[in-house]
Amino acid sequence: MLIFTLRRLSLFIFTMLLLTLLSFSLSFLFPGDAVINLSGAINATPSQLAQLNENYQTGSNIFVQYFAYLQHIINGDLGLSMASQSVISHEIMNLLPATIELSLVALLIAMFAGIPLGFIAAINHNKPSDNIILSVSMLGYSVPVFWLGLLAILIFSINLGWLPSAGQISLLFEIELVTGIQFIDILLSDSPYKWQAFSDATAHIILPACVIAVAPATIFIRLARTSMIEVLNTSYIRAASAKGLSFQQIIFRHAIRNALIKIIRHVGLQFANLVTIAMVTEVIFSWPGIGRWLIVSIDQRDYTAIQSGLLVLSCFIFVVHILTDFIYAALNPLARGIKHGSR
Amino acid sequence: MARDKIYLEEVFPSPFMQLWLAFRKTPVAMAGFSCFIFLIILAIFGPVLAPHSPIEGQLDMPLLPPAWHANGDVSYLLGTDELGRDMLSRLMYGTSLTFGLSFIVVIISLVVGVIIGSLSALTTGIKSSFLNHFLDVILSIPSLLLAIIIVAILGPGIDNTVWAVVMVLIPQFIHITRYAVKEEFRKDYVLASRLDGASPFRILYYSIFPNIVDRIMGQATLAQSAAILDIATLGFLGLGAQIPLPEWGATLANGLDLFYIAPWTVYLPGLAILFAVVVTNLVGEGIRHALKLRKDL
Repeated sequence: MLIFTLRRLSLFIFTMLLLTLLSFSLSFLFPGDAVINLSGAINATPSQLAQLNENYQTGSNIFVQYFAYLQHIINGDLGLSMASQSVISHEIMNLLPATIELSLVALLIAMFAGIPLGFIAAINHNKPSDNIILSVSMLGYSVPVFWLGLLAILIFSINLGWLPSAGQISLLFEIELVTGIQFIDILLSDSPYKWQAFSDATAHIILPACVIAVAPATIFIRLARTSMIEVLNTSYIRAASAKGLSFQQIIFRHAIRNALIKIIRHVGLQFANLVTIAMVTEVIFSWPGIGRWLIVSIDQRDYTAIQSGLLVLSCFIFVVHILTDFIYAALNPLARGIKHGSR
Repeated sequence: MARDKIYLEEVFPSPFMQLWLAFRKTPVAMAGFSCFIFLIILAIFGPVLAPHSPIEGQLDMPLLPPAWHANGDVSYLLGTDELGRDMLSRLMYGTSLTFGLSFIVVIISLVVGVIIGSLSALTTGIKSSFLNHFLDVILSIPSLLLAIIIVAILGPGIDNTVWAVVMVLIPQFIHITRYAVKEEFRKDYVLASRLDGASPFRILYYSIFPNIVDRIMGQATLAQSAAILDIATLGFLGLGAQIPLPEWGATLANGLDLFYIAPWTVYLPGLAILFAVVVTNLVGEGIRHALKLRKDL
């Protein structure tokens, strides 16, 4: 496990270096002066500009400049937003939790809907129910998410009036920001209308989370189906049925556990996909998250914000990636390294 | 009795022909394939076939519902938008923008990706390990996010969208080609031609490419469905095709304000995107199924 950790750590550091290098080079690729792109100080006076040039070491060679940039990032200084002149790191700290909340809920919905359906399809392999589940899942990952979101708003918010169509919570409730994750904040607050606020927040999250969850859920269906089919063909399942276990016992005691492990490995990759879908969905549902902020920044040509948004979002995705790798390794001893007799 | 074949010669179809023979056996895949051909024809000839101009509208008949509604008009089969532009013509022109461009995008990135991928499969050591890590990092960033960033650098517009999606798809092709070539290189028939003294490039061209072309085609259909969705999404977000262009995503975004008065301006482009992606996925599914059938033989 130690070697595994060290390996992941080196991969993590390598990736972080590449990502910061990418966002550093963006400041040269974007139109305009690199220092202004990095710091976002568009209204700087000549003396402030000289100070910035000093801080970012623009006089020195490119490596020194890069290290100066790295230092700024490590100190948590991502510059000012060109559009609003507010501090970007504060804005991101306010927005990122909303995105995390939305994508985690969507991931949970996708997993709890997709994996059992995939198992059902695998158990009824090549029967009508398998084919129906497969065709529905194909429709699910073909549908453009923005269109699905609009249809969901039209049906559930406007025609039926069941669920709200925009925002994170009704403006009537005043919830103090502590962690940024709405549900935890509501539970921590001592407002007398805590439970009303909680149910209101739940009603707001259902529609966007379900829309985001559709595409990943269909992928989980396929993953679960293939891994379950694979497991059911192994010799230990045959041994279990030879032992006289009933079909349910085989599925619940042996097959599901082994099939689940293979799926967990792919959760990290799916999460990256899910965050992209969440970005588009945030725009449609006016969710106050980092995806909508990033797209608005592109519209406003706010280069500092684009650069930092990219960096933070891809770091977040990569951290989740590594976390799922660890969970997978903790659950499955075979993944930690080559063992004797494992091949 | 006429005898076509005097000698009993065994015919071995090329891997590509084998794929086609297996592919033909699934009716659903064939249905998808014929729709795919239909879309390609529409993408090429759509501008000729379209009954009206997609950009100039009849201002005296805005927001006409589709012909099957009570107050629809047969000469505007799918209705008009708020400027009186014919939806059917817009969708037909849009086919060549969204579907046709995505096809071109996939071909460009396939060629570039396969060349880089097969060259990199021949390298070993630190160069290849660096490339491996680099690809891992690029592939861990979601494709749409990367496309959005590239568009942000290049500026909005349909041509920049095309370049962005090309750049996003290239790493996937590099990855799959590299994997496939490395896997083939370990096989005995490659060793045989190596012992005959064939150079690596000769082996690549004559031995390996015919054997991996099916896998690359499977990846190409995946890439195409991603490309259609990416182009449409960028158009929807206002970063892709700009205003008068009838790209499907942009048309959909255009109808957004009128969603409740004229829902067909939103339904129809969405259905068009859905149709194109489903058709592409059906073809891809068929290819993968055919590959599996061949493997199981």
